Amino acid sequence: MSVLDVTGLRKVFGDGHEAIVALDHVDLQVEAGELVALLGPSGSGKSTLLLCISMIVEPTEGRIRVNDQDVFVDGQSRVNVRRYRRENIGFIFQSHNLIPFLNARDNVAIAMELNGVGAREARRRALVLLDYLELGGRAKATPDQLSGGEQQRVAIARALANEPRVLFADEPTASLDTERGFKVMGLLKKIAKERSSAVIAVTHDERMIAGFDTVKRMRDGRFVADGGGAPAHGIEHGGNDETSAEKGK
Amino acid sequence: MDLAIKDVQRHAGKFAATVAGVGLLITIVLIMNGIYRGNTSDGLWLVEHTDVDLWVVERGRGGPFNEPSRVSQELYRSVAAIPGVVQASPFITYTVQRELGGESRQFTIIGYDVLGGLGGPPAVSVGRSIRAARFEVVADKKLGLRVGQQLHLGLRDYSVVGMTSGAVDLGGNPLLYMALPDAQEVLYQQDNEAIRSARVATRRDIEAQGYSEQEAQRLLPVAGAGDTHTVAAILVRLAPGQNAEEVKRGVEDRLFLSAFTTAEQRELLLKGRLSKMTAVLGLFRILLVIVSVVIMALIVYVLTMEKIRAIATLKLIGAANFVIVRMILEQSLVLAVVAFVMAYALVSMTYDRFPRTLVFETFDTVVTFGVIFLGGIVASLLAIWRALRVPPGLALGGG
Repeated sequence: MSVLDVTGLRKVFGDGHEAIVALDHVDLQVEAGELVALLGPSGSGKSTLLLCISMIVEPTEGRIRVNDQDVFVDGQSRVNVRRYRRENIGFIFQSHNLIPFLNARDNVAIAMELNGVGAREARRRALVLLDYLELGGRAKATPDQLSGGEQQRVAIARALANEPRVLFADEPTASLDTERGFKVMGLLKKIAKERSSAVIAVTHDERMIAGFDTVKRMRDGRFVADGGGAPAHGIEHGGNDETSAEKGK
Repeated sequence: MDLAIKDVQRHAGKFAATVAGVGLLITIVLIMNGIYRGNTSDGLWLVEHTDVDLWVVERGRGGPFNEPSRVSQELYRSVAAIPGVVQASPFITYTVQRELGGESRQFTIIGYDVLGGLGGPPAVSVGRSIRAARFEVVADKKLGLRVGQQLHLGLRDYSVVGMTSGAVDLGGNPLLYMALPDAQEVLYQQDNEAIRSARVATRRDIEAQGYSEQEAQRLLPVAGAGDTHTVAAILVRLAPGQNAEEVKRGVEDRLFLSAFTTAEQRELLLKGRLSKMTAVLGLFRILLVIVSVVIMALIVYVLTMEKIRAIATLKLIGAANFVIVRMILEQSLVLAVVAFVMAYALVSMTYDRFPRTLVFETFDTVVTFGVIFLGGIVASLLAIWRALRVPPGLALGGG
């Protein structure tokens, strides 16, 4: 059963002659524990797709179902969007976006508290998550005291705080060096397998998607081809044929 | 989790500097409160601390403080004869600028009948009251004199025998109490040349009426040249239960003078000399409060703008608007309250070193706190409005 089921999703910015079609009837089904990579040039619609699925931007038409529940149908939202995001979606950002005045533990705990978990319990669970991501010793460090990789792991811990069904990672390795980038992607794979969360990662860097179950390429608001998993060592760079970058079927 | 407090803790230095800035502004507001009340308190001190029922002054004059009044000191006997009057005493008051201890000081001299008359100091905090008929003074401690010290005024030396505390004139200048003849002497004393000139002028006036030079010379003392036996007012104490209005009418009808009850004198001052200063100080108070709130609003707005990406992130991970509003509002109120406490502490520690009398009333302080607290809420509105409009997508970026 799909944990995420997107059908005919369309997003148009503006209207009339100035209308820009950012998403053009996109279909996407993601299973629990599945790793999906979204590839494509800037402006292709990758981030817009994440924004629409997470209801930060309301789609123009189409249907979104998460965990067998209608989120958006017939041009209308069917949920309290902030609650929907709190309970179902975890975000990992390119620039980590940790709250600068909170330490690592509190950055994780705040996501739980916003979801109704008591402060003490939230702090306890945050420490468990940080331990899981090998950051137990850095719990009291503030973001400016953490390295880029550590910040990204705290961001991942925060994204996992409410055990979301779907994890969105928007360019999670863009601000990291290659080695740290691989480590973060390795963590996402581990999370997908161990916690059965669907992971959808947007990236420009094709080397980072080694081991992903599904690779989706976007151009002009559409998936240009659908692929299966990426090769174990990532995708060879330089090919003109976009489908060649996908897992050979 | 209290996000506002976490932010304050994280940026403690910046917050402390901000509190100091706003606190100093509120300090000025509180000082203005003190000056505002102090101005009225100083202005009414003499009226309220001179234990009399009626102030009798020159006909048509607005009392001895709002404008000069000059009546013969002997009129006190006539006033004392009005039914209902228990006691009447001559009283003189004027402000001088004289050298005291090598420093030019402004103070007000009060001349009264020191031998049991009305108008003396209500209480002597150090030393004693004036007992001798001449050449003793009681000074307010603001003058910086000591009991036993000799004070040189005009051509004579006066002994400081007692000190008052907080005895001031309308302008907050300290008072110097002395015997009526001494006060008149200090006020009217002229050098020999001035006296000669005045006499010559008076004699010429008499001669112009057709008198000979010898006749004019003989008439000079009668013409009153250089007469110093005048006072500003006659102070009156009434018999217990006596209707002040009746006595007042008696004084005005029979002696062709004006009389004011202490309550009327007080009103005259409030509506006269004190009114403009009170209005100006009141306006300053309002302006300062507005400026404080505007500055607080700008500070809270800037602090919020610095957190705008964090706010977008909070929204993205599902924070309700209430969480954002609470964070900004709480920070604004913490800023307002801590700044007020700092201002209050600062004023409490320094007000007695202020050159003017500062009077703090609990009501004023509570109202100011309330206004600053409400100001803190108002100050946060712009920042809240801006924060609520921040799209959560700001945390993500495009692609």
